[in-house]
Amino acid sequence: MASRAFEPVLTRNVGNPAALTLDGYRKSGGYEGLAKALAMEPDAVIDEVKRSGLRGRGGAGFAAGVKWSFIPKGRDKPKYLVCNADESEPGTFKDRLLMEKDPHQLIEGCAICCWAVQASTTYIYIRGEYTHANAIMEQAIKEAYQAGVLGDSVFNSGFKLDMYMHQGAGAYICGEETGMIESLEGKRGQPRVKPPFPAIVGAFGAPTVINNVETLANVPHILVRGADWFKSIGTDERNTGPKLYAISGHVERPGTYETAIGIPFSELLDLAGGMYRGGKLKAYIPGGASAAILTADQAGLALDFDTMTKAGSMLGSAAVMVMDDATCMVRSVARLAKFFNHESCGQCTPCREGTNWMELLLTRIEHGEGRPSDPQLLQSVCKNMNGTALCALAEAAVGPVDSLIKRFPEEVERHIRDRACPFPQRRYFENGAS
Amino acid sequence: MPKVTIDDRTVEVEAGTNLIDAAFKAGVHIPHYCYHPRLSVVGQCRMCLVKVAGMGKLQAGCATQVMKDGMVVHTDLPEVKEAQQGMMEFLLINHPLDCPICDQAGECGLQDYAFKHGVAFSRFQFEDKRTYPGRERIPLGGNVLLNMNRCIQCTRCIRFTEEIAGTAELGFFHRGARTEIGTFPGKQLDNQLATCVVDICPVGALTSTRFRFAERVFYLDKRPSLCTGCEVGCNITIEHRRGAIKRYKPRFNPDVNDYWMCDYGRATFERYRDLPRLTAPRLRQEGAALGVATDPMRPRPDLGGTDTTRRRRPEAPTPVSWREALDAVARYLRSRSAEGAIAFLGSGFLTTEEAYLFAQLADVAGTPHRSVAVELGPERHIPNLQGGVTGREAAPNRRGAELAGLASGSAGDGEAAGASLDAESLLRGDGAARCAVLVVCDSDFGAAAYDPVIVERLRRARVLIVFGWADSPLAQAADVALPVATHAEKDGTFVNVEWRVQRFERAFSPPGQARPAVEALSELLTRYDARWANLGAPAVFDRLAAELPAFAGLSWHHLPATGAALDVPAARAFPEPHLQAPEDTAVGI
Repeated sequence: MASRAFEPVLTRNVGNPAALTLDGYRKSGGYEGLAKALAMEPDAVIDEVKRSGLRGRGGAGFAAGVKWSFIPKGRDKPKYLVCNADESEPGTFKDRLLMEKDPHQLIEGCAICCWAVQASTTYIYIRGEYTHANAIMEQAIKEAYQAGVLGDSVFNSGFKLDMYMHQGAGAYICGEETGMIESLEGKRGQPRVKPPFPAIVGAFGAPTVINNVETLANVPHILVRGADWFKSIGTDERNTGPKLYAISGHVERPGTYETAIGIPFSELLDLAGGMYRGGKLKAYIPGGASAAILTADQAGLALDFDTMTKAGSMLGSAAVMVMDDATCMVRSVARLAKFFNHESCGQCTPCREGTNWMELLLTRIEHGEGRPSDPQLLQSVCKNMNGTALCALAEAAVGPVDSLIKRFPEEVERHIRDRACPFPQRRYFENGAS
Repeated sequence: MPKVTIDDRTVEVEAGTNLIDAAFKAGVHIPHYCYHPRLSVVGQCRMCLVKVAGMGKLQAGCATQVMKDGMVVHTDLPEVKEAQQGMMEFLLINHPLDCPICDQAGECGLQDYAFKHGVAFSRFQFEDKRTYPGRERIPLGGNVLLNMNRCIQCTRCIRFTEEIAGTAELGFFHRGARTEIGTFPGKQLDNQLATCVVDICPVGALTSTRFRFAERVFYLDKRPSLCTGCEVGCNITIEHRRGAIKRYKPRFNPDVNDYWMCDYGRATFERYRDLPRLTAPRLRQEGAALGVATDPMRPRPDLGGTDTTRRRRPEAPTPVSWREALDAVARYLRSRSAEGAIAFLGSGFLTTEEAYLFAQLADVAGTPHRSVAVELGPERHIPNLQGGVTGREAAPNRRGAELAGLASGSAGDGEAAGASLDAESLLRGDGAARCAVLVVCDSDFGAAAYDPVIVERLRRARVLIVFGWADSPLAQAADVALPVATHAEKDGTFVNVEWRVQRFERAFSPPGQARPAVEALSELLTRYDARWANLGAPAVFDRLAAELPAFAGLSWHHLPATGAALDVPAARAFPEPHLQAPEDTAVGI
């Protein structure tokens, strides 16, 4: 139960409204990391982050320091940092907390990253619906400019740094890094073909680092407390540091919890107050809508990058969705398929046509009109979508569907055999909303 | 240059070549829809997935470049075939499969690849396909129609308007399975090159309003040719059925028009269809000397009497045989020189060979007055890799005609400028009135030929001889009207604005008694000198190449498919041609 006693790092200012202001943030130890970084060589900062083993918190889990080191040295082109605050994976609500409660932590993280890769501009691409978080960030950036944290000379070091908020317009696909760049450039938000990768040709044709909010929020703490401290947290040296878990679904206290990375799911469930009204765990999605569904048997697994990959799922954005035994898996997955169909940008064939077909098939099964060959067909569609598309959205859409067929085959078959859904509609609220 | 092995065939390609082009060089076709050699790589259709040794996932051939030696690519593995099959299935589940009423059927990327890479039955068993109600025939502009139901969202058209035409009228709207193509609000697809999007559309989503429902493409006969719309000299394919031209399509030539041609050029064949045709030689009888019928196989139309020679009105031209007509021409050229000057007026529509023979005829007629009519048209620009070719003159071969011996300026030869009978003085001045004989070849030399004022001016010549394919007012006014072939009906060469000589071939035979002007002119010349007998365009070209320094070293049969840059001083202002034409992977799709 060590994790229960975890001393919050990223969320330490959540109960401290004073941290919204620059002075309040400073009092809590803020901007020490930036001051320390500016005293170091940029490469030394990258090395420190590399050594800490910090992996991207947005979904893919790519080592942040390594990503930074891909940025070409030299000053022939401008370089950019784009902070991915387009938090739109269903079930994910951790970055919002960081931006609304501790905006300066993110600004500091961005500033350190910019110093490390010698970028002079940061764009924070924020989800369009996050108007409150955007207002808070805007205010914090304004304050940071006034205090000389941002602007022509950061802390009088001569290092120039500008920071802008950019609001998205409500597309999930703009959370994909190249889709985000296209959107930022004012184009239709759709992913680019890679290579070239953004580290070489990113925003406005220049080398660009793209990191998630939570990833960048970790950076000041690595600088202040050292890579060794960071490495001491977590399951092993490939899974280090504190982690935010956004838990939702059939739990008593849904919300964002910070623990060391690699907390077993069952412990996280305990933190969230256990199952909703004492229900029985049936399944959980460990990493947002695009992760494969895990069953109750797998509740003991540690929620870290490698364990989840080994279990055939992924940690993703660590948005844990919990489902009790009255949940219809077909209906749940059909709803997810609808989401991906709606959010597919439509440029590449397997995703545009496949997500649509999957939704049609799952809806048909859920409505009791499924055919005996449908599960096999779904699997075949999944196979044709997997690894063939331009970006990761098709694979994300495959995740839950494929795991439904693999892990809950009898439930799917029952829908088809009985020509109806065996699970009644649930009413959670007095007014009949479900 | 790095070597790459594709399906056990090794080729050497330039670093940075993508796998589709490299495979094409190796003789392997990697299927693709969205890739086009002149458009940016977007990797959207996912048809070109191949296995690159050492990489886990299948890679998109269009977006994978050969950078260093030793790359090994497989396009025939079961996993590649499976992926291609999967993509074909995805593309077809929502496609209307309305091939029987679709213009693209027969040259459709979906049909071709469905046969080659697809499966014969559908697993998509729903009552309704995704459709775009009300979006089945949307005019994007005057010349292009969109049927959204057939679209496979490859974005070639969007990228064309952005990157080649530079006008960016088209865009993607909505997203996911509802993604559609359209024009931006307030914009129309009305740029000069608009119909090129129909050519590059791999399916039947974009169709040409000119060609729509004109003919099933599998009934079309095709022949390489050149556009006559302006002096750019776009390479085209004439597509016709039994001598009726149905459309022009651009033919790849990296030095001239690349893959493109303009909408104006595409419509130029419609004149051949719409204007009345001159199909038999016609002779206006002039007194007893000419009034002898000599061809018993071709009885003249009965004009109301038994003795046609006596009763005919002297002004009415009569259909005669070619021999009669040419006899008359030769006679006029020989006998009338005392009554005034003899002038030859050529046109920019003549092939180089025709112009050469025309000039030779002027030589034997002993006259210095030989010129070519030049008409300026709107400026037309066709982009290519070197920036593009711009044409201003409304005829394809003014330069070739000049090189072959016709003059566009004054006729020179010591005469005072005012006395010279060049095109300017004939068309705009009173030059024709001083002519004993005026020979015009051909009658359709430009809009001026249809101007009654100019026709009347030219008619002032005592004898007017006109070669022409159209039964134009000028041909009707002529004393001798000689029916010649359109450029679709003859072989020849044109020299374009950048002094590049290009060859074109006869697509079909001329109607009636019309014949290529080269034949008629060579027959006329034979009356003076036997060495001109029985010459076709190839022989004339070889002869002029031997004589004219600008064409030195060229021969008809060795003229490259992309044409040859002529060695004239004026040509040096233009970019160096490609030494070797790059592979044309856009063929077919």
